[in-house]
This record gives sequence, structure tokens and C-alpha cells, in this order.
Amino acid sequence: MLKGFGTVLAKELRELVRDPKILLGMIIVPLIMFPVLGSIMNFSIQSAAEQAKKASALVIDRDGGVYAIAFMESLKANGVKTYNLTNVNPEEAVNSGLLSEYNTTQIIEIPNGFSENISRHLAGETNVTTYVKLYSVFSGSGIVEDVGSSLIDLLVERLNRQYAPDIMGTRKASIIKGQIYENVDPRTLSGLMISQAIAMPITIMILLTYSMQIAATSVAMEKEEKTLETLLTLPMDRFAILMGKLSGSILVAGIGALAYMVGFNYYMGSFASFSAVSGLDLASVGLAPSLLGYLLLGISLFVTLLSALALAVILSAFAEDVRSAQSMVGYIYPFLFVPSLALMYVDINMLPLAARIALYAIPYTHPIIASKSVTMGDNLTAALGIVYVAVFTLVIMYVASRLFATEKILTIKLKFKGFRKREKSVAAE
Amino acid sequence: MITAVEATELIKVFGNIKALDGLNLKINAGEIFGIIGPNGAGKTTCLRVISTLLLPTSGSVKVFGLDVAADAAEVRKIITYLPEEAGAYRNLSGWEYLQFMASFGARNKEEKRVAVQEAAEICGLGDRLRDKVKTYSKGMKRRLLIARALMPKPRLAILDEPTGGLDVLHSYHIRGIIKRYAKDRGATVLLSSHNMLEVEHLCDRVALVNKGKVVAEGKPVELRDRYGSVNLEDVFAKVVGLA
Repeated sequence: MLKGFGTVLAKELRELVRDPKILLGMIIVPLIMFPVLGSIMNFSIQSAAEQAKKASALVIDRDGGVYAIAFMESLKANGVKTYNLTNVNPEEAVNSGLLSEYNTTQIIEIPNGFSENISRHLAGETNVTTYVKLYSVFSGSGIVEDVGSSLIDLLVERLNRQYAPDIMGTRKASIIKGQIYENVDPRTLSGLMISQAIAMPITIMILLTYSMQIAATSVAMEKEEKTLETLLTLPMDRFAILMGKLSGSILVAGIGALAYMVGFNYYMGSFASFSAVSGLDLASVGLAPSLLGYLLLGISLFVTLLSALALAVILSAFAEDVRSAQSMVGYIYPFLFVPSLALMYVDINMLPLAARIALYAIPYTHPIIASKSVTMGDNLTAALGIVYVAVFTLVIMYVASRLFATEKILTIKLKFKGFRKREKSVAAE
Repeated sequence: MITAVEATELIKVFGNIKALDGLNLKINAGEIFGIIGPNGAGKTTCLRVISTLLLPTSGSVKVFGLDVAADAAEVRKIITYLPEEAGAYRNLSGWEYLQFMASFGARNKEEKRVAVQEAAEICGLGDRLRDKVKTYSKGMKRRLLIARALMPKPRLAILDEPTGGLDVLHSYHIRGIIKRYAKDRGATVLLSSHNMLEVEHLCDRVALVNKGKVVAEGKPVELRDRYGSVNLEDVFAKVVGLA
């Protein structure tokens, strides 16, 4: 054993464990953060299961034969509430608003000759097969979109097992923004969208953590080196110090984000093969933001970045040195990681009201929501998010500017540290 | 005679602690004035209030007739402040640091160039000004910062422990800079120190501060005579009842 190792280790542990910032940031926060995240994921899976139980569909039976009736019975037996339609084709059902009238998102079409083809197959003509067709509304909500598609696959598989293997297949189409896209499986679409939707939460997490560290360090460094005191006595506007620091951090973070996105682009390239296999890319089915959507997304990202930086500057004002500042910024991370990780796979609208309000209250949620909403053509949600984050940012900027305008930027740590430390700090001058 | 600084019944409270407790001070223009006292006497708090960093809890401070609370922006135009143990930006060179600081006072490029040139001469760091500040010794850094504080030709330079923690050579150099600057420019210098012997040789007048109050004030020689002491350290010990 190295001589003195145990003594140094014991001292190190004692010092680290007694540091409340480390205790809170590294132990308490993860203990709270991951259960919260787990609950959100768990709830979303449960609500998907609930959705499956409440599944309903419009059924267009063009066959009317015995096997078509058996198929519909099978749907009912599996808890799918069906509404039979006659003399209507799927386009008409979509355009005439029948889906919302019956409060469903699925249309199942049983083609003409369905029963006959099954009978022929059973009679020995094994090359004769048939299919059922599912039209499913794609709203970008992730897990829910999988439900209808999976259920149909499951039922068809069961019937195949009951009658004969490969007697029946499925064909799928997606209804996107009121338009039917043939041969586009909503489940494939959902998978593709999730794989691409991961980009924004990861970007947000990396961009904000880096830039907040930069901003907090830049203020704490000024305090640690006492250059801030010098700056505050110069004949200049103190708000300029704050804005200079924020702008510098934004520029550095922006360059970092650009470098990151270039790298991430190569990573996302791996999904191109997935697109090639499915013969599908999101833009071709209208799942790409408009120019206005991109603009809103950019603004959303910018105001969120600004609010995070201003918050980091405020927190670092409480710190005496760089290490403390970085620990303090760490307190914000759960508010960044929970929505980012949760919203990678879960649609916010599937969550209970309290969870939704909590997530909407966190400003870092909004660029993630905006990225999904502008893709679905919902620019209003993105715009409302921007307004909320902008107001939040203004409040934070006001507090930060007040801190810089008064002696609090120098003295606030004294109050934060409590009375006993305050005495020491004052006496130390 | 013009009054450079006038503090009247100055009180500064942090929570339940009275860092300054009715401090009175009058500094004449053109003199080097020293505030001396032990650690925790209130020296730095006093300098921070005069330099507009802290607001007085009560009482008033005027710098060349301008109130530090009401006219803070105007006060900042005529003062410079050097905090105790201050640093400079580590990744800038000494030259770049002086250029950055000169940008705040200079009205045009020529003024800035002249100011930086003068500061380079004051600090006497020569070619080392091209090196990054993080490579400087403590003494070199302090010389750079003193030059920065004197560079804009302030009417009042406030220097907190200008030679604190430095070796004899650097301390000697810095004392020389301060003396020459005050004499050549007729500027007022207010400095603090707990090195009473140093202040005795450098300052025209001194104030002895203890527990947030001025307990004695005058020329070093007058104070020595008044208390029958050999140096200011003895004077302080007698004033606060240690001797």
C-alpha cells in the first residue's frame, strides 16, 4: 500500500462529503431526478396501454362476407370499438371529418373479395391471399401511433394462425395533416420521427450545459481574481458588463453548437439507411418545418439560451470561486435533463395535467416542444412557447441587471452563506 | 485647499456586523493619504465605499464634492481603484490588458496609445508585457495593476494594500511609482496598509482605523510626537490600549 494514501483519501472524502454543493449536486439531485424521469416514462407507457384499451376504428367493409364479419368480431373481442361505414371511401371519411365525428384516429378497410380469397386459400389455392388496410392518423405523439398499427398486426397474425399461415396480410397508410399517404406505416413514421426528434433534446442539453458553464465561470473567475471589482469602478454602464458577458458566452456556445451539429449530422447520417429501407423521408410526407417553423425554432432556441445564461450569471453571483459557481449551475441541470430525456420518447399531451404544467413551466422544455410542433405544422404552440420563455428571460435579465447595478453582486454571497460565514467574510477584509 | 475626500459619520452594516462605525475622514487634494490598521479594522470597506462599490448604510462620502451614492457614475470618471490581491485576465498579455483597460478612459486611439505607453513605462516590465499575465510573478502582476490604476490619470487613485504580500524589491519599486506619480501629477492617492512602517515613509498623512472608526489622524511625525512613540506601530498600540 502506498504510504500516506489512506490519510489523503480520508481527508479528501471528509472534505468532499462536507461540501453541501457536492452533496446536493452529485447525490441528492440524481436521487430525485431519475425517479421523476422514471415516473414520467412509466406514466406514458401506462397511458399508451389505456389508449390501446380504448381503441376505436371506423370500419369500411367492402366485402360483407363471412370472414369479414369474423374479422370485425375479432376486433370487438379485442376491445376495439368499431363503427361500420358503407358507401364511403377512406378519402371521403377523412375529408368529411368522420374521424373527429366518431372521435377516432383509425380507419380499417376490408377489401372486396376478402372472404372469397380466404375461402380459395383454404380450398387449396395457397397462392391466393388477402389483406386488411389500416389508415391511421399521424399526429407525432409517439407511442400512441404504434398502438393501432401493432393491434392490426397482432390480429392478422392470430387469424393467420387460426386459418392458415400467410393467408392474410396488412397494408398501411398514414393520414398526415388531413392527407392520405399510401404505404406509409405510422409505426415506421413514428420510429423515424423519434430517431430524428432526439436531435433537439440532445442539442439543448449539450448547448445549455456548455454555455451555462461558460457564463458561470466567466463571472466567478472575475470574482475569484477580483477583476470584477475593478470593472465595477470603471466609468462604464454596468449593464454593459452583463450584456458583454452574456453575448460572449452566447457566441462561444454558438460556435460550440455549430461544431456539435456538424458532428451530430454525421451521426444522424446513420439513420439515412433506415430511411432508404422504409423508402420514406419525413419531408416527403409533409413532416418538415416550414420556413416560418424554422425561424420560430431558431428564436425559441435563442431565447432559451439567453434565459439559461442569465440564470447561470445570477447563480454564479452567489459563488465565491469557479468551483462553487460550477456546482451551483449544476442545480439547474435536473430542470434541463428531465424534460429533455422525457420528451425524447413521450408526447407531452399524454401526461397528466400536473406533469404537463410542471414541464411547461420549465423554459428549457419549449424548444423541444417547438421542434415537434413546427414539424407537425403547429406554429402557434412554438410561438406561445417563445412568448413564455421571453417573459421568463426578461424577468431573469432584470434580476441579473439589478444584481450588477448594486453592491449585491459583491455582497450576495455573504447573505447566502449564512450569518456565521458573513461575520467571517466581513471581518476578513 | 481643495478637499479630495470627505467622509462624515460613515456607517456600513453587513447583517448584524458594523464594519464602519461613524468613520470621519478628510483628505486634501494632492496628498498621499494612508489608512492603516489591523485586519478587520474596516479599511477595505472604507475604500470600497469611496470607490462606489458599496453604498453607505448611513453618513456620507464626497469625492471632490461628488456624493458616492447619488453621483456614483460621475465619481467613477475621476477615480481608479485597485482591490487588494486583485488579478488581471490570465490569458491576455500584459500589453493587451493595458489596452483593454485604457479603452474605458481614452477618448480616441491616440489617447489610448499614449496611455498604454505611459503605463508600460510606469510598470517597467519591458518585453515581458508581451507575455500572458498567467506567466507573471505576484510582484510583476502588482506592478502591472498599479500602472493600470495610474494610467487614466485619475484625480484620486485608491489603492488597497498596494504592496501586500510582495518582496522587498517589488515593494520598493511600487512605492517609488506611487511617490513619483503623486509628485509629478499632483494627484491624490489614498491607500490602505497594515504595514505601518511602510506607510510612515510613503504617506503625507495617515488615519489609524480600529473597529470601523478613525482613532488617530495626522502626519506620521506629528503622531509619533503626540504619543511619544518611535514609530506608527507604537502609536497604534498606545491608541488602542495595547501598550
